[in-house]
Amino acid sequence: MALVPLRYNLRSLFVRSSSTLLTVCAIGATVAVLAGMLSLQQGFVNLFSERGRDDLAVFLRKSATSEGESGITLEQCEILTKEIPEIARDDAGQPLASAELFLAVRLRKFDGGETNVSIRGVQPQTFAIHGDDIRVVQGENFKPGQDELIVGRGLIGRIANCNVGDTLRINTARFTIVGVFEGKGGYESEIWGDLDRLGEALERPVRSRVLAKLTPGADVAAIEARYTDDLRVQPQVKTERAYLNSQTQQLSQRFSILGGFLAVIMGIAAVFTGTNSMLSAIGARTHEIGILKAIGYRPFAIFAAFLFEAVLLGVLGGVVGCLLVLPFQGAETGTMNQTFSEVTFAFRTTPRVMVTAIVFAAALGLVGGMFPALRAARMTPTQALRRG
Amino acid sequence: MAVAIQLHSVTKTYHRAGETLRVLDELDLAMDASTFYALMGPSGSGKTTLLNLVGGLDHADSGKLMVGADDLAALDGSALAQWRAENVGFVFQGFNLLPVLSARENVELPLLLAPLSRAQRRAQAERALELVGLADRMDHKPRELSGGQEQRVAIARAIATDPQILLADEPTGDLDRSTADQVLELLQRLNRELGKTILMVTHDPQAATYADKVIHLDKGKLGRIDDNRTASGAGARS
Repeated sequence: MALVPLRYNLRSLFVRSSSTLLTVCAIGATVAVLAGMLSLQQGFVNLFSERGRDDLAVFLRKSATSEGESGITLEQCEILTKEIPEIARDDAGQPLASAELFLAVRLRKFDGGETNVSIRGVQPQTFAIHGDDIRVVQGENFKPGQDELIVGRGLIGRIANCNVGDTLRINTARFTIVGVFEGKGGYESEIWGDLDRLGEALERPVRSRVLAKLTPGADVAAIEARYTDDLRVQPQVKTERAYLNSQTQQLSQRFSILGGFLAVIMGIAAVFTGTNSMLSAIGARTHEIGILKAIGYRPFAIFAAFLFEAVLLGVLGGVVGCLLVLPFQGAETGTMNQTFSEVTFAFRTTPRVMVTAIVFAAALGLVGGMFPALRAARMTPTQALRRG
Repeated sequence: MAVAIQLHSVTKTYHRAGETLRVLDELDLAMDASTFYALMGPSGSGKTTLLNLVGGLDHADSGKLMVGADDLAALDGSALAQWRAENVGFVFQGFNLLPVLSARENVELPLLLAPLSRAQRRAQAERALELVGLADRMDHKPRELSGGQEQRVAIARAIATDPQILLADEPTGDLDRSTADQVLELLQRLNRELGKTILMVTHDPQAATYADKVIHLDKGKLGRIDDNRTASGAGARS
């Protein structure tokens, strides 16, 4: 079946530029909200998934969903760090495994108010395990056994008293900030110090997790299975990547739901704008519809032409929406993660986010254009010619 | 001469504001092929309605309307659209063209409905524009054309697919006398040289003199038919 030439609708959009602009802006604003939320979600997911490694194992208490909930006694830590053959060893033959303590503490934000910040007590082996993934970029690393801390780069400028030389009070103990470190993912939003000193300061007799580097080909499920019936310790074992992915799911879903909710509410308004714009376009071009029908174009061709125009409006709106959020690419923001600690992450408008936003915008155009296009298609030629 | 259009007891009513208007009232009429007809009558006499029915833009309520061998009452909306694309060309009073398309693109519109290649379409559109004397205005948009030129593009579009019948509703209604005469001469030429059957609604007695025959409608019924070719004096133009 012959269709009305696309250039007719394309050029018509440009001819009534003010109406087109209004609709494109309305759809663009809606799409910008969705794309913004999706970009935050992507940033959050990337924050964790890019850091996760498959050759690192995380040992937690059996039923814990995060290290914040986990508790492993010192004896159990000894068993896990020393006994497991799949844990790699350093040049000195020592296992590349370290116990860690993880807790969120309330600290003052730079711009007022308080927030939870993750404090991680680590052992010297932690740095050997992470290798180049953790780098002290300012000052120096803390010294074992000392009341010293290093802070993640993401906290600088966000949390008060986090510069090198500052003193941070944790419970009653005063710790000195001696360095700033960079690292992949969420570690950059943490404060690190000596495991034993922080354990004492925080009055925590247990550890949160054991982190270990695995030998090539090691299977974490097999390790976990081996301890199923062990009365001394029954750990939950995951690769670091799997563990971090599980940590992002809830918040990632929350971003999606919030973004989706806002997009739907604004989308309804955008659909009405689109419908209104198309109705006025069709009203102004009723005579043209009559001419097309008189020439012999069938109702479906008229329907398709005006629906195409509406979808095109939507796609243009989608592009505008993406352009609105692109300047924020890489901008950093913070939120509470699953362990209720402040994490800093960047806005990531990925190609996938843009495609999703544009498809959503096209759908808005499609829904908004459906009724006007049907109306145009159902006009009889004489009605259209008379009204025009 | 073969009969091109035949109406038997054709009735068309409209319902407006609770009132029923019998616009065509059991009209009987036969029109010969390759003849130029002018359709005259006071407002509301059913001229445009008759044109719309003959052009397959609307259905009669009752009666029989044959165009060539086709019974238009038997065709539904889509079939009628197809029939229009193949058999008739329309010229309306004004705003005949799609303003965003060039003259050539406007003329190509009906050709897009025919199984033609892009090159054939283009060639046929250009031929039609040359025929109406607008070879040098092909890429102009309607706003860049004068009223007379616009109507000539509309005529080129109407003849682009080489239909046997041309239907024109007040084609010179918006034009000054001399431009109107040029358009009417063109229609007359298409009738005389290409054998097109033309049915033209007009209020203008001077425009009607270009036709071979003038059909007078009155209150939906046939008044009389004047034959300009046999008329004496200044009535007819040759």
